[in-house]
Amino acid sequence: MNGLLTKVLINYPYLVAVLLFTIGTFTVLTHPNLFKKLLGINIMESAIFLMFVASGNIRGGVAPIRGTTNAEAVYINPLPSALMLTGIVVSVSVTAFALALIMRLYKAYGTTDLRRIAARRKEVISDDHLDQG
Amino acid sequence: MTTLIRANLPVLVVIAPLFVAFILPPLARRIRLVEALALLGAVLGLGGAGYLASIVLTQQENPFIYQLGGWPAPWGIELVAGSLGVFFLLVVGVSVPVLLFAQGNLAAEVGGAERVTRFYVLYLLLVGAMAGMAVTNDMFNVYVLVEVATLSCCGLVSARRYPRAAEAAFTYLILATLGSALVLGGIGLIYLITGHLNMGFAAQELSRVWLARPHVVLMAVSLIVVGFGVKAALFPLHVWLPDAHSTAPSPASAILSGLAVKGYLICLVKFLYGVFGPTLLQEFAVHRILTLLGGVGIITGSILALTQEELKRRLAYSTVAQVGYLILGFGLLNVTGLAGALFYLASHAVIKATLFLAAGAMLAATGKRNVRDLAGVGRKMPITMAAFTIGSLGLIGLPLFSGFIGKWYLLLGSWEAGLILPAVAILAGSVLCAAYLLPVIRAAYFAPAPEEDWPDPGRPQKLALLLLAAAVVILGVRPGPFLELAQKAAAELLAFY
Amino acid sequence: MRDFILKRAASLILPFIFVYGIYVILHGAVSPGGSFAGGIIVGLSFIAFSTIYGIEQGRAKLPEKVLVWTESYGTLWYGLMGLVGLVRGVPFLANKLAGVDLGTPGTLSSGGLIPLIGLGVGIRVASTIVTLFFTIMEEER
Repeated sequence: MNGLLTKVLINYPYLVAVLLFTIGTFTVLTHPNLFKKLLGINIMESAIFLMFVASGNIRGGVAPIRGTTNAEAVYINPLPSALMLTGIVVSVSVTAFALALIMRLYKAYGTTDLRRIAARRKEVISDDHLDQG
Repeated sequence: MTTLIRANLPVLVVIAPLFVAFILPPLARRIRLVEALALLGAVLGLGGAGYLASIVLTQQENPFIYQLGGWPAPWGIELVAGSLGVFFLLVVGVSVPVLLFAQGNLAAEVGGAERVTRFYVLYLLLVGAMAGMAVTNDMFNVYVLVEVATLSCCGLVSARRYPRAAEAAFTYLILATLGSALVLGGIGLIYLITGHLNMGFAAQELSRVWLARPHVVLMAVSLIVVGFGVKAALFPLHVWLPDAHSTAPSPASAILSGLAVKGYLICLVKFLYGVFGPTLLQEFAVHRILTLLGGVGIITGSILALTQEELKRRLAYSTVAQVGYLILGFGLLNVTGLAGALFYLASHAVIKATLFLAAGAMLAATGKRNVRDLAGVGRKMPITMAAFTIGSLGLIGLPLFSGFIGKWYLLLGSWEAGLILPAVAILAGSVLCAAYLLPVIRAAYFAPAPEEDWPDPGRPQKLALLLLAAAVVILGVRPGPFLELAQKAAAELLAFY
Repeated sequence: MRDFILKRAASLILPFIFVYGIYVILHGAVSPGGSFAGGIIVGLSFIAFSTIYGIEQGRAKLPEKVLVWTESYGTLWYGLMGLVGLVRGVPFLANKLAGVDLGTPGTLSSGGLIPLIGLGVGIRVASTIVTLFFTIMEEER
């Protein structure tokens, strides 16, 4: 029991990541508001970033920048952080695109609630002169 | 110069469309130039793929290993063009006829010179990402290319201006990003226990380590299968596909159904066989789950396609069913089944592109959307309807058309694996496919037509349709070389353990 | 947002933010940050300018044509830097192999091609984020 508790406490970043991932996915799948879906996606991606970045950490290690620390220090693994920079860029792009789509939907339907959009879909006059099938 | 190109061929095939894509935006005013350059970009990609195929297949260098930046694996990103890579690069060549179809035709659907330029930029980005997915051997590179492809696909879906397109694009974006995050989680778990991002090295390390950490490996497999399943429209995760593929412009629907979904499936195959390996898959019974989901997907997709009134939605649900065939083949774990699945992947890409382009041409000319309004189209637009008929017969799986070969090998594969239910699902799928496509053909040819004049589309569009329909027939009548390539690719994948 | 205090404070601070962004871009190889973060900072300085002084003034500084050009050519610049290795017979995106002089680590010139690529990427990221801002703000009208 003591060993299990120690293991849990040492690995707290991963537990937090799992918790955030669950919260994010649940929000995306169940909330009807479009903005909240987008926030859920962001929380979920933050959880993944946390898991990756935490995996690169070494206890007692220093930042891996050459020439500024003494030669015997242990460097932490910089690779996961570099990978997550790419992930953050992707997340920013997805957020920007989703916001543009939400604005388009708001202009067309007047609401950002998916249930009301589904109800109003039948009443809205779409630009059918552009719609060729 | 030729030695320069030949030595760097894998990376040039990937970046040629990307380069051309980024030359296009400043030239947005001159639409003719933009269309010609876009076509040039796709043709360059296909030409490079053909050259690479000739190098790899004549055993001059098989597989063609290329290290980006000169850094050797496992520190650098490796591009490996083996049989599977060359196979999928040739399949990506379907993008050329689809782009030919879009010449001059796109402004009517998308509206405006600037929007057409943006469409072409996204299209070329998608082609470049697909080519990269074919050759890459690094897991994180797969993630980056998957994200590029996802964003391009969402952009293509939202190209039209009406609200249903925005809604479909939003659903697609949210679900696809969910899938990508799951895939990234899976890659993270594999990196955590193996310490490698290169697929070959990770596989070797995984075969040593997985007995000590079976739960982590199980979690990684689940995350990757579900993540790629969402993006490739595996059965219960396919809900975004009908809306997205039916509200996109016709060239976009063709490339999305034909290529984008297949790209994610190729990545899934690379992960399942190249990183995990058949032993691990059998240990966790993943192959049975895949076959089951595939079979259920075939039946459900086909039945749902029967109930659709709009032609493009019917074709979109048909894509869900055909992806079921491919997943079923991936779960069979023998060379025949896997080769059948790969060949069916290629033939379905060509067939679906034909069907969507012909459907788009018909719907654009008649202005209608539903199947029952297309009566008599066959006599007014003969070439278009002929292409649609050839595509339909190919999809149903009649002999002499390419779909037959793929389904035959899938049946042989399931027989070899000793399973009866997949064979039943395959045959039932063909029957249902006939049920939802033949009425369209019957109404088009034999029903009385109204008096309006529906012209055949212009010359580039007719050429594109003829090329694709010819490919369907050629693959069916003389499948030899391509089928051998598929078998070699399957053997390479399974030769791992 | 056309407040007098805001405008005065902005005219003092924004140039420093801009220069700091360029500093982060160029020092990508020796300190945390790099092309993406630096590009965002540069873009944010323009966004702050547009927010405080008004969209028209922001547009006057960065018209649509300039933004389209920097976006496309920033990416092409990255590709061209990668091709430098190709013409010397080494793989794509090679740095040391292509014969680029890597000076002593820890100094600014120790990255080889990396700061040059970073400059292109930074300009591109800045123009992208400014374009996004302008697109969203102009749709609101």
